[in-house]
Parts: sequence; C-alpha cells; structure tokens
Amino acid sequence: MTIDVYWRIGMSGDHASLRTPKVRNRGDWGGLGPGNIAPAVRGGQPDGYAYIDHAAAVAKASEAAGFLGGLLPSFPGTEDPWALSAALARETSTYRFMVAFQPGFLHPLQAARMSASLQRATGGRLVYNIISGGGGPAQLWWGDKVDHDDRYARTSEFLDVLKGVWRGEPHDVDGRFFTTRGAALPDHLTGEPFPEIYFSGSSAAAVNAAGLHADYYLSWLEPFGDLARKFDGVREHAAKLGRTPKFAVRIDVLARHTEEAAWAEIEKGWRHVDPAVATRQARGDSVGAARIKGWVPDTITGYRDVEVQPNVWAGFSLLRGGPAFGLVGSYEQVAQRLDELLDLGVDAFILAGNPHLEEAYRVGEEVLPLLGRSRFTQPRAVREPAPVA
Amino acid sequence: MTGFLWELPTRRDGRRADPTLWRRGGFDHLHQVVDAAELSGVDGVVATYDPDGEESWIVAGGALRHTRHCRVVVEFTPSFGTPVYAAKMSLTLQRLGADRLDWLLKVDTDPEDDRRRGDRVGGAARYERAAEFLTVARGVWSGRGAAPGGFDGGEFDHHGRYFDVVAGGFDEAADGHAFPVVHLSGTSPEAIALSAAHGDVHLFSASTPDLTADVRALAAAAAQHGRTVRTGLVLPVIAREDEHEAWARVLRLWREIDPSATERELRSRARDGVLFHGFDRIGHRARAGLVGSYDQVARRLGDYTRAGIDTVVLSGHPAIEEIHRAGEHLLHLADPAGRTLRGARA
Repeated sequence: MTIDVYWRIGMSGDHASLRTPKVRNRGDWGGLGPGNIAPAVRGGQPDGYAYIDHAAAVAKASEAAGFLGGLLPSFPGTEDPWALSAALARETSTYRFMVAFQPGFLHPLQAARMSASLQRATGGRLVYNIISGGGGPAQLWWGDKVDHDDRYARTSEFLDVLKGVWRGEPHDVDGRFFTTRGAALPDHLTGEPFPEIYFSGSSAAAVNAAGLHADYYLSWLEPFGDLARKFDGVREHAAKLGRTPKFAVRIDVLARHTEEAAWAEIEKGWRHVDPAVATRQARGDSVGAARIKGWVPDTITGYRDVEVQPNVWAGFSLLRGGPAFGLVGSYEQVAQRLDELLDLGVDAFILAGNPHLEEAYRVGEEVLPLLGRSRFTQPRAVREPAPVA
Repeated sequence: MTGFLWELPTRRDGRRADPTLWRRGGFDHLHQVVDAAELSGVDGVVATYDPDGEESWIVAGGALRHTRHCRVVVEFTPSFGTPVYAAKMSLTLQRLGADRLDWLLKVDTDPEDDRRRGDRVGGAARYERAAEFLTVARGVWSGRGAAPGGFDGGEFDHHGRYFDVVAGGFDEAADGHAFPVVHLSGTSPEAIALSAAHGDVHLFSASTPDLTADVRALAAAAAQHGRTVRTGLVLPVIAREDEHEAWARVLRLWREIDPSATERELRSRARDGVLFHGFDRIGHRARAGLVGSYDQVARRLGDYTRAGIDTVVLSGHPAIEEIHRAGEHLLHLADPAGRTLRGARA
C-alpha cells in the first residue's frame, strides 16, 4: 500500500513567509498594503485579480510538485471549500479536492448532489474531510445547536443517507435528524466514485460514528508519544467494531537545507510574537484550537522553549492561524520524522507550509524524495467523467 | 436597460422536444454554454435548481470562475441547508467572481421533491421559512465580530422558528462584498408579500394574465416596506429571421409529440400572434414564451420593458445555438441603448 500525501491550501489568504506573520499580503484579507498579491495595486487601484487566482496557482503548484491534492479547510471567516473546489475544478487535472465540511450544514441529499456534480466536474477528484464540530461558540456561530455527542450521531446518520442515495436507488430514512422518502441521485449523477472520507475526531463518540464510514482517521500533529497513544485508542475501539483503521496526520513543515537555516526562519518570525500571548497559549487560556498546555513550559521566553521533542515545534499557531504543532529542521530531519510517523502506522499526510505556493515546490522537491517517492500514491487522473448516455 | 439572463441546461440539452432524447450533457458541455453566453453579450446565466440536473452551486462556481462579465444566478431551495452556509458559500463566490453572484430562491417547490428531501414544511409556511432564511443570511453577512481566519464570536443573534444563530456574523470578511441580488417568483399573496419584504427582483411568468396589474400590486406592497422591487419575466424564446421560420421550428418540435399537428393549431396557442402557450410541451420549464421574427420578438420585449420589466430570463434549446442567435440578432434590437457603440470607436 502506498502513502497518500496532500498539501493544504490556505483558505484566508497567505503570508509572504512566516517572517511576516502579521502581514497577510496574498488575497484581500490584509488591506492591500505594499506588496499585496491577488489583488495587486496597479496605477493606484486593485488590479481585479482575487485570492482565487493565487489559490489556483497553489493548486497547480501542489499538482506539479507531486502532491495528490490538497485539504481545503473550513472555519468561520475563511473561504468555503465547496465554492472554491467548484471554481477550480477545471484548472487542474490530477489535484484531489479534500473538502472539509460539517454534516449539519447541508441536507444529505443536497450534499450528495453537490458531491456527484463535483465528481463529474473534476473527473472523480473529490475527497471528504468530515468534521463533526468541536463545539463551543463556533458551533452556534454556524447556527448549529446540536450537542457534541449528538453531532457524531448526526454525522453517522448523514453519511448513511448520503451513501444510501448515492447508488441511485430510492431510499427511505426515518432518522433522528433526517427523513427521506424515495430519495436518490438522478440517473445521470450516479456511477461516480464515492469520495474517500478523512474523519476528524478521535473521541469514543467520534470513533463510533466513524465506525463504518471513515477511510482515514485524521489528527493534527501532536508529540509522537501522544499520537501513538491516540492511534492505539482508535485501533482498540475500532477493533471492537471489526475495523482496521487507517491514519492521516495534518502537519505544518518548515524545512531548509540545514537545521540552522530552518530555525533561523523561525527566529525571524518569532520577533513578532508577543511573549505574553505565547504564555497565555501555553497556559491554555486562548480561544481556538491551538492547545499546547501541558506540552510546553508555563512561561515561554524563546522559540526553542516550545520545541517539545526534536524537530517538533509547538509555536506555529503563534505565527499564523491554525494548529500549533509542526516539524522544523533540515530536509533530512523532517524526512526522518515523517518516516517515524509512518512507522507509527500513518497512512497519509496532509502537509502545509507558508507560503503555500513556494513551500509546495520545496517540500515536494527536497523532502518527499528522501522518503522515497515509490512509497507515495502517484498523482493521476482518477477517472474520466461518466460518459453521457 | 434590460438585463437578459439565460437559463443553463443543467440536465442536458439538445434539439429535440423530448428532453430524454437530449444528448449533450456534463460539465464540458455546460462550460460551452457559459462561454457562449459570455461571448454573446448575455448579461447573466441562471444555474437552475433541477433535482434531476447538475447541482446548481457547483455549476455556479465553475461559471463564475470562467467568466468576466456574466452575472451568475444560483437557484436553490431554502431547505437545502442552513442560511449561514448559503451565505458562507456565497461570500467565497462573491470574492472569486467580483460580486457577480445572484440568488434565485425556489420557494414553491415540487411536492414530490419535498417528500424525497423529507421537507415537511408545506404551503404558506414555506414563504415564512424563506423570509427567515433571507433574514438570517443577510444578518450574518453584515453582522460584526468574527475575525477573519479565527473565531472570536460575532454580534448577530437569531432565534427563529426554523433557524438559530448565536453570536454570528462574517464581520470584515464580507466587507466590500455585496450580498447576492435576491430573485424570487410566484403569484400567490404569500409570494408577493415575501418579495415585497425581502426580494430584490421578482420574476413573473409570461402566462401571467394581467402583468401590468401584478407589477403594480407588487410595487404597492413593496412601498409599504419602504422598498422597491425590480420585476422580471421568465421567457422561453424561439426567434428566427422571419415569422414563418420560427413557427416552422415550433411545428417541427411539436410533431414529435403529436405527428398530426398543424401550424394553424399551434398559432391558435398564441392568441396575440407572439406569446405562445405550449413551451412546456417542447422541453422548456415555463409554459409561455415568445415565437416570431427577431423584430416581432424584440418589439414584444420592448413592450415588457415599458411595462416595468427590467430583467428577462430567456431560455432556448439547444442553448449554444439559441444564445448565439439571441446575441447576434435579437438583444441589440430589444435593447439598443446598452448595445450600441458610443464615443470615439462608434
């Protein structure tokens, strides 16, 4: 079996690099200051390009650099992955669109129709990242009142309905969350491959819900021991359901030709970090998903304080929005760490780095070959769209 | 100036009356149609909601990415998901398409389609839900507080019968981007009331018996809310160089369903000579539309403009050919003001 390697795409602009963590100059999130790209300012006016034009470049770069596709995350205040995938469908040929979505926001028949049409538009390149929602205020922002454990039950029912209607046979459901009568995809939307499912969440409720549906359990990077324990927990629980789970890890990467050069990059970004903010995050007081409490000292004075094990750095969330942990080091070191994760049983990586465009080339050219490209699933057109009858 | 939109054939397309015989389909074909509309000077395309067709949001996303001028109208039902999600997808589409996205909310849905989706909200309650849907979608669009890329909570709250939001709002993520222009349709009192309070453009069917009266009634209802609502017409069209050629086309199509039909019988379905009631039998979604020479059809379009119609949703099959015809022969006759070269290059 080969390893699937994806490269994330930024969903709310991007930075020129982590050296300028506060300046989001790619896209229109940063106020079109000097050096803004997509749109750029020409003759005193925005030039009419938009972030989509840069996102298209990132997707093409990911494709060219040997990645299978990209994760399109979804948060309040970011672009929507369905809309972005629909727009970019025809500008790439092998790039797989891993669309992050929460089952509560769309009716399952609607999601089935969108998915089937996207499969037809892309030639079968849609992948799901199913998120059941961490809860808290963000869930209510989305207009979702369902409780944590119920959300997993809803996810499970949602995927039951989605898979049920996919085959095009009339489908009746009397569920807790959804009801259908004779629901089915219309004839000419059937016959498309069902998208692979990357399932976020590894609580007992999550593993139960994922039971019959998940192809991959997706986790953010954590210190390797914790990750191994998490995998063991999922394996144990899945075994009771008669399943052998596959694992995927979402990892930020900052790799350079030497370890020193990599840390020098971090140091340049770290100059913009407020130590008080870092300490708040270390003590677990911050809002959001960057949970590093317990893994780092209570008081953070320098960037090496949050290197929790060799090359595993917990400071990424201080330099850009997103998860805290990532790998920092030479190409060889980062490749070694990825190899160690493969030894822990990882089957797929979703890698990321800022700026997404240039780092896609760098990681594709310098890091992945050290792992041995023969181990990776090679990008290829998944299949031609279903012929018109 | 009248805006001319074209209904995209999201199911399939062809030159026959029976849609099951249409051979053109899929996204390669849809993009040919979108390209035709963009190049022929059509003002926008409608990604129709068709339970048996391609999904309209996916069609709209591709259409926006591959056009510069055309507006793209996405048609969907309020039961498709949450209003927050509809607004969220729309904001991305506004960003990537330079604010060219419009909505066409289909409220009066087919009962069989409702049953499949398990949608138990029927009758007039559907209009109440649609009003709430639009209130929430507009509310989060302009609501302050959610930081781009992160989450701090917003200021928009809604506790309704169908939808809830707590501390919602897109905040500056939506700044500078227009909420989609909302198109609605229908002739029931509930439909008119919904448009009066929440619509931007109300689409009438061409079979409306007294269009002028309905347009006035809508304007009066909207005025009570201190609003104005633009009016539009859904209008299939078969226009040819001369009248005879146009009717010959109708006859050729009609004979697929009734081999003994005569041109005289068909013309009797157009009492005024141009407005033909029977398009639904020859592959169109709407019943009434225009048949005639380019001049005849253009004159009728001019009459509609004078009656207050400023948006016309055209359709024709096969779309690629009919769009070119409209662009080359019809639109500049119907709307010369916006389609005649001015200034130094004239």
